[in-house]
Amino acid sequence: MTRRALYTAWAALIALSLGSTALSLSAVWAVGPIVAGVAVLLLAWWKARIILSQYLELATAPEWQRGFDVALAALCLLLLGLYLMPQVL
Amino acid sequence: MSEKSAFEDLPGELLMWILIISEVAVFGAGLLVFLAVRAIDVAGFAEAQDMLNRTAAGINTVILITSGFLAALAMQLRKAGQRGKARMALFGASGLGVAFLWIKIAEYADKAALGIVWDTHAFFNFYYMLTGFHAAHVAAGVVLLLLVSWRDSPSNIEDATMFWHMVDLVWVLLFPVIYLLQ
Repeated sequence: MTRRALYTAWAALIALSLGSTALSLSAVWAVGPIVAGVAVLLLAWWKARIILSQYLELATAPEWQRGFDVALAALCLLLLGLYLMPQVL
Repeated sequence: MSEKSAFEDLPGELLMWILIISEVAVFGAGLLVFLAVRAIDVAGFAEAQDMLNRTAAGINTVILITSGFLAALAMQLRKAGQRGKARMALFGASGLGVAFLWIKIAEYADKAALGIVWDTHAFFNFYYMLTGFHAAHVAAGVVLLLLVSWRDSPSNIEDATMFWHMVDLVWVLLFPVIYLLQ
């Protein structure tokens, strides 16, 4: 991994974290809690993916990275399903 | 002719990856149970969550991500033979870990001052258990980072920084579920 890729990963993680915190402080939850919940978990999945691929250097092992991407996506989808359950039932 | 094992492609120690997968599975299971229990008391969980300081948790996220960046930078510097700079990056990473813990302790102290303890509500059972278990990992990680800044072989630094990235990885999943999902 190059130094530039590391700086880019850090900047992306900061931007995504500020985005999810700003979202939590906004009024969007009162208007569209489902969209806000999907956005927050999507941002979490994206951040986890960057940590795995850049900080933990899984980008050098694409097959493993795909496996971790799928497992993390499954976890986030399960979390989303449980979050949405009371709102759709 | 010997066949290449799929595990050889993994960067770093296989045992560290087993630890990372195990920890993410444990915290992931905890978060799933948290949301399952929330489903039967959405209003109570929302009221309890509103007592958390989301801004402080957001600042802690930035602190931990930046600490992870310094740990990854330390690994790169050590591989390039720049031992002094690698040590500085490790000191920086562990210092930010201490800052994370300081904010976390202040958060717990605020709750205690309001009379909020682990059995005030089911939400706080999970809040203290999951964030407390994570904070224990942060404390262990700080010690590890300081140890490898002293015993600074590349393999030692690699193991400690992988542990630190695991702490980071768990937090980016825990933070949105506990603090943000309303």
